[in-house]
Amino acid sequence: MATIISKLPELPEPLEDAEPNDLDNNDALGIRVGIPFRLELLRDFKIDTQVGTIWLGTWGVVSAFAFGIGLLVTLLAGLDQAGGSFLILVKYYANLNTAPPDGLGLAHSLRGGGYWQIITLFWAISTLAWAGRCFERLRRHKWRPYLLFAWLSAIFLTACIWVFHPLIIGSWADAPALGLNSDLQWAQNFSVLWGNLYYNPFHQLAIFFLFGSTMLWGMHGATILATSSEGSHHEDAEIKNLTSGSQKAMLFWRWTMGFNAFPKSIHDWLWWFAVGVVLSSGLGILSTGVITNNWYAWGVDHGTVKQYGEMTRSFINQRPQPMPPMSQAPAGYIPAPGK
Amino acid sequence: MADLPFESVYRKRGNTLFASILGGADPFDFWAGPFYVGLFGVIAMLAIVVGVATLFIAVGQYGDWDLWRANIPSPGRQYGLGGAPFLQGGAWQIVVICATISFFAWMLREVDICRKLEMGFHIPAMYGLAVSAWVVLQILRPLVMGCWCEGFDLSFTGHLTWVSNTGFRYMNFYANPFHAWAVLGFFLTAMVLAMHGGAILGTYNTDKDPNVEMRREDSFWRDYVGYSIGEYGIHRLGFYLAVFTLIMSDLCIFTSGPLVTDWVQFWHPF
Repeated sequence: MATIISKLPELPEPLEDAEPNDLDNNDALGIRVGIPFRLELLRDFKIDTQVGTIWLGTWGVVSAFAFGIGLLVTLLAGLDQAGGSFLILVKYYANLNTAPPDGLGLAHSLRGGGYWQIITLFWAISTLAWAGRCFERLRRHKWRPYLLFAWLSAIFLTACIWVFHPLIIGSWADAPALGLNSDLQWAQNFSVLWGNLYYNPFHQLAIFFLFGSTMLWGMHGATILATSSEGSHHEDAEIKNLTSGSQKAMLFWRWTMGFNAFPKSIHDWLWWFAVGVVLSSGLGILSTGVITNNWYAWGVDHGTVKQYGEMTRSFINQRPQPMPPMSQAPAGYIPAPGK
Repeated sequence: MADLPFESVYRKRGNTLFASILGGADPFDFWAGPFYVGLFGVIAMLAIVVGVATLFIAVGQYGDWDLWRANIPSPGRQYGLGGAPFLQGGAWQIVVICATISFFAWMLREVDICRKLEMGFHIPAMYGLAVSAWVVLQILRPLVMGCWCEGFDLSFTGHLTWVSNTGFRYMNFYANPFHAWAVLGFFLTAMVLAMHGGAILGTYNTDKDPNVEMRREDSFWRDYVGYSIGEYGIHRLGFYLAVFTLIMSDLCIFTSGPLVTDWVQFWHPF
């Protein structure tokens, strides 16, 4: 055990921690908790070994508290469906389904959407408080707020799915139910209901960014690993002063595809691709049912997809009704385990 | 484009795969503008020219030049693993062969450039993994299933239609566990990408000393989530997340058809 976990004598004192500034003193819960230690196991993966400490802070406490309540209610909702049995809860974990209520009002009962509303509310509080924590820590460590805007963009997408689109449609039942299979089924149903999301141009752009993000991680990660023996991974230093590692990294792409980024500009590409995923996805959700009720018909009308066979057009002018919510299943319903 | 100021230091002839395997001088060992050419650049360029020419001839024959809809369909089922007439899938076969040749030549050209710059071979390895997705989709899976018709049409919305149809053909692709892992990998790469991009864009040139900036990154992540993976570790994490995502993507499509015909039924024994 001593080789796996050891105390931390040789690590230099974090520079910023030497002089706490006003922001720390103004925060009622502004303390770091835990004792930093080294997890020697991580050295085998060639990643940093220090674990801890973690900052508490008022926003962090609010976020963790809301997350804890949400988790507790999620557990209660699962236990309710499993007839109070932990064994059944674990066994049918993937099929647990906490569904939203119909209409935009408060649910009439816990099982009829009340659980969903409570969990969603505390989840929203938790993520928004985490944004406050992000803002406060970014200021403390003198970062520019890129990370905050990335986090807010992610919140924008979840808000589009769980709040804005249900408000447009007029029913919380439009939002995904909570559960492993439930949200997969929501994704499938949402696409089918609105005439196949593959023909939604925002969805197309979002997938372009999503695959592009993986491609860029492949490119950037591989480039830095391939040249790190010459120090290209010291990116803050490389931005100020190119060394041979970064020069080789730049020349590799210039010689391969005729274009290269720079140690700073590659991170612009990375950040915008990642943020592009959630921004474009959010627009894709918001435009669905607003620009068109049927993305395939929209694609045919705008010439982006050819018409495969006959197409009845009368249904396109009507807004499709959401699938019958799974909340209409009897309380305590457990899907049959096949054969 | 003008050369980078330090470029002449690195532009040296020799040490190509051609020269070290076949011996003698490499006749293709030169640059064209910013591009390195090399033997594999020539092969890739030939395959690209033939493939793109075939593509244009076929699209001209089909008659729909719209960028979104112009489509090269895969062969019909009746041709099995044999050759198909040009407009019934022969064009698709030629384009797929040319694309595959150019992908592999491009990878070997990257190896040549890595050898010239004396750096690691991570990029061609990662590129080869990306090409594996193409090979699985267009060659291996059709071969195993016994019909070139299993490959996807080459066009913008045509390949989307193929993806949509393939998902429903195996009942519900969201129930495919490899698909789920791959989607998780895609989302995780995007998230970690935003975290890394945000960290560097957030801290560069905030101090004279880059070590202070690096310390700022480390102490932020320790405050924020309790752990900082480090400036080297983050690139390892991103690299291996991309590797994981690509392997899961390969498995997700290769199992659909050859091994599993209904992903919903697949779970019933469990």
